[in-house]
Amino acid sequence: MTWLSSFALASAGLIAAAANFIFIKPRATYGAPSRFLIGKPEDFPSGTRISLDAHRVCVVRDGNKLAAISTTCTHLGCIVGVADTGFACPCHGSRYDQDGNVTGGPAPKALPWYQVTLAPNGELQIDTNVQINSGTYYNV
Amino acid sequence: MKTLLEFPRTVWDSVFRHPLPDSDLGRSQTSFTNFFLHIHPVKVNRHTLKPLYTLGLGLMSFFLFVILVFTGILLMFYYVPSTTQAYDRMLDLRGTVAFGTFLRNMHRWSAHGMVAIVAFHMARVFLTGSYKKPREFNWIIGVGLFLVTLFLSFTGYLLPWDQLAYWAITVGTSIAGYAPVIGKDIKFLLLGDNTVGQEALLRFYVLHVAVLPAVLTLLIAIHFWRIRKDGGLSRPPEADELPLRLAASTGPSMAITVNATPMQLDTAPKKEKRQFGLMGIVRGPFTKTGNTPDNSVYSWPNLLTAELFVFILTVAIILVLALCFQAPLEEPVNISHPPNPAKAPWYFLGLQELVSYSAFWGGVGIPGIEVLILFLCPFLDRKPGGVGKWFAKERMLPNTLFMTFAILNVMFVIVGTVFRGPNWEFVSPW
Repeated sequence: MTWLSSFALASAGLIAAAANFIFIKPRATYGAPSRFLIGKPEDFPSGTRISLDAHRVCVVRDGNKLAAISTTCTHLGCIVGVADTGFACPCHGSRYDQDGNVTGGPAPKALPWYQVTLAPNGELQIDTNVQINSGTYYNV
Repeated sequence: MKTLLEFPRTVWDSVFRHPLPDSDLGRSQTSFTNFFLHIHPVKVNRHTLKPLYTLGLGLMSFFLFVILVFTGILLMFYYVPSTTQAYDRMLDLRGTVAFGTFLRNMHRWSAHGMVAIVAFHMARVFLTGSYKKPREFNWIIGVGLFLVTLFLSFTGYLLPWDQLAYWAITVGTSIAGYAPVIGKDIKFLLLGDNTVGQEALLRFYVLHVAVLPAVLTLLIAIHFWRIRKDGGLSRPPEADELPLRLAASTGPSMAITVNATPMQLDTAPKKEKRQFGLMGIVRGPFTKTGNTPDNSVYSWPNLLTAELFVFILTVAIILVLALCFQAPLEEPVNISHPPNPAKAPWYFLGLQELVSYSAFWGGVGIPGIEVLILFLCPFLDRKPGGVGKWFAKERMLPNTLFMTFAILNVMFVIVGTVFRGPNWEFVSPW
């Protein structure tokens, strides 16, 4: 009897704890959407390196090749600044080259590249949920 | 008419069951029958009252927590945990709320003070060997209290919703994300989203004003209760021995210790019936019934005046700090421009300095191992002796190790605070 009651109590506790964790893990988030439009390809002439800080992404265009590189530092989530040599993080001094590969500091991995597509209305669309290999460009 | 005249007196007597004590019995009853005083023992050892032994650090931490709860509840009347309103409410505290700046200053400086004093308290307990048997469990509770205090500061840091808040929490939760296996989930649960935003602000608010204070209160209650049950504050064995002249004059003891140590049981007359006082059974040869001469004095008024002194001192220091120094408030959050350098509060700058070498080892690995060692202290260092003395000779090795770690951590804090400039590059403050 004691054994049964303790078992019942313990399982009730475990289920309650698990239920709490399920409860506090949000199913929908209200933050910035992962897919967004950034404008027409013409807005980004060749040679552009524009950092869209609100979206935490840097749009790079060289000739017909266009790419979106994350500007969220892979070290601790600060926004990296665009520098002559590539990217530099103000928080802990991580440095990246033009393609986002780590060249110095504590960052553990390269800045991810995001998928760029053309939306039906002719604007470029970036999806930060889809990471692609570095050096994979979208051809305008 | 007579009844009417005596009415105030009747009410007074119904609340306070005893007049101010003038006898030993009265002094015991004062501690026993008052709700707020019954947490105290009736008598305390003289050694416990030595100001240079405890430095009053544990009490100070507790009183700082009381100030924090008091000012915190008042601040809650004007605060809204919303990304669009929080910062404006900070400005309102400065501009329109009566005593707003003052209360915020008190809250901020008490919070910083509490982190520092709790750390000092921990150092005191370690350096006097006070975590040894039977106080092992209370040391563990104490380490828990230290961690909850840090987490309370951390969650409070986001609430002003200024630049410092936003980027310190971005960095802090990213550190949590480096924890193995569950790191990403912890980060997501803390933030309620992928980045710091409205969800994170609400979550940190709930943790800061409800969950963590409740946990802290519970742990404090256990911590205090265990002090009593473990036989009062730690002290050297000599502190329980009678001064020679007293011991010589008493002859065989008539009183029985409530829970005698084995040695005393052997020498006590066997036929005598053991009596158990209302104090209950407490470990150690401390609580006694009857008028056994010993090294203890009545808590009322000896302990209470000491506590009152620490309380007044704590409040006075916080009032002066709050009058002289303004709690910083930076620019409102700009999610596209981290300040350069983005620095956490001073007590996390040691961590941030470590993190600038390696995110995993600096943010998770080394602190994790340090906390684990802290928790296991009483079980790693099992050599008895050296309890109740600052820097006891018998405890040379553990004390040296502890001081080395403490100084290393403080050095990292100093380097992170003073010697790091833009891009976390080494700068000289001179």
